Amino acid sequence: MRRFQTLRGYLFLLPFLVFFIIVTVYPVIYGGYLSLFGQHGARMWFVGLSNYKSVFTDLLFWKGFGIPLFLLFVQVPGMIVIAIFIGLLYERVRHSMVYRLIFYLPYAVPGVVAGIIWSYIFSKSMSPLVALWKLFGATDPEFITLTSVRWILLIIILWEWTGFTSLIIYSTLVSIPKEYAEAAEMDGATWLQVSYFIKIPLLRNTVFVLFIFNIFGAMQVFNEPMMLAVLLTNMPPNFTPAMYIYNQAFAYGAFTYSIAMGLVLAAVIFVVSFFFMRQSMKELDIHA
Amino acid sequence: MKTSHRARFEVILILLSLYFIIPFYWLLQSTTKDIGQLMQGTFVPGVPNHFIDNLVGVFTYNRGVFIHWLINSFLYSGVGSFVGTFFAAMAGFAFRRYRFFGRKFLFILILGFALVPQFATALPLFIEFKNFHILNTSWAFIVPSVLNIFGVYLMVVYWNQVPEELFDAAMIDGARETTIFLRIGFPTILPGVTTVLLISFVAIWNNYFLALIMLNTYKVFPLILGITRISSSSGWPVYNLTVMGAFLTAFPLLILFITLQRFLAPQLTGAVK
Repeated sequence: MRRFQTLRGYLFLLPFLVFFIIVTVYPVIYGGYLSLFGQHGARMWFVGLSNYKSVFTDLLFWKGFGIPLFLLFVQVPGMIVIAIFIGLLYERVRHSMVYRLIFYLPYAVPGVVAGIIWSYIFSKSMSPLVALWKLFGATDPEFITLTSVRWILLIIILWEWTGFTSLIIYSTLVSIPKEYAEAAEMDGATWLQVSYFIKIPLLRNTVFVLFIFNIFGAMQVFNEPMMLAVLLTNMPPNFTPAMYIYNQAFAYGAFTYSIAMGLVLAAVIFVVSFFFMRQSMKELDIHA
Repeated sequence: MKTSHRARFEVILILLSLYFIIPFYWLLQSTTKDIGQLMQGTFVPGVPNHFIDNLVGVFTYNRGVFIHWLINSFLYSGVGSFVGTFFAAMAGFAFRRYRFFGRKFLFILILGFALVPQFATALPLFIEFKNFHILNTSWAFIVPSVLNIFGVYLMVVYWNQVPEELFDAAMIDGARETTIFLRIGFPTILPGVTTVLLISFVAIWNNYFLALIMLNTYKVFPLILGITRISSSSGWPVYNLTVMGAFLTAFPLLILFITLQRFLAPQLTGAVK
């Protein structure tokens, strides 16, 4: 009977498994193998762990983490706090449905399109903000510069994801039994107190999951910076680690090196999220 | 609660709405402008309205390559999402129904690999496809798109909600396993299937990185990659056509999201308690 189960089980699993192996398992293993080779054009020779040594001493690679870390410490907590605030507001305002839809729509826009729209909005030539700036007497403003581009990135990413995040939080809030808040209000608690002491603690699990997904996204950010690079022509190739990996592979042709970098990036992401998961589990007392 | 509080909140939400809506509005009114008007940076639609001109321009750009991009996007997203979702449903069914050797291990393995970022797999995948000579073809894009690990996870959740009695009844009626899956189980989890289908459709439609790596010839580009390559002979983007292309790329998704809300965002129009 068990053999019947095994046969049937694998039969149904097979199509997915085939693609899973071709697209994920084999590349990871093959990548690990390839990363042990030096490479120039079509020639490859065994170099052992030399690529990894180079990755760890590659300043450009590690400097590129500036942007994901910026997002990690500014965008992720900021967005989650704002989204919690908005989620709470959804419960309290008339026409909540309209706001929910409006805030959510940017999520439907592809990252590339969002990057194009916002980079054009801030561009020197097409920006409607230029007229506004000139009103205040400034001449010929340049919005997208090497120093400002991370803030523009912040604006874009907040625009894309806050609505979606606030909706997820709202879903969790809505499932909190009304009685908790009502009992507290009857005892004289203000909206602020109810929110802070009752609702927010119950959001912990949701916020935890949101953090993990956002960490993943922040560390791998690629699409939006690539679109900004079209208008910021002096954007360095290592602006984000993901961009640097791409450029090493396709602009400089250093394939095996970038594969090694990709694996290191994956390891870094894993370490960061693991560290965060452990921290949160300690503080929030979540049982895995 | 105090009315003054509520009014304050409304104001905040209205201001936030501006932030979220203005880019949409800017995009829409920009599609009506030619390059000269775009360079003026105004906030109102172009006065000689160039929407049709931009539309024509986009579709005639580079000897009509745009229509290929459009067809490709629908093809890749359609095939990838339908096939991928079906395979995910089969996989979820396998985990739900059969206690097979290595079941727990495989499940953890599959979920574990979901954590591997695209960067670690895309480059070796590139070389793998190069060795099989399918690089720069539709297959190089479709095959990875079919894989939907998160979909399998969701399918397991949905299948677990199907009561055992349903399967028992079917077995008593002498149904074969494939019939149980296709004719009885599948319709039961149809809402969940639809959700996974839509999510994967959108994800494939938006997948810029995969297209960028795998595809080199304009004719096989999906929209998401093609619109970033609309450029003049000097190498700079043709801004008004790019804007129109961006609009046309986002528009189908917006329609999808607005009309099929209940599958993609259940709490969107649910009533406030």
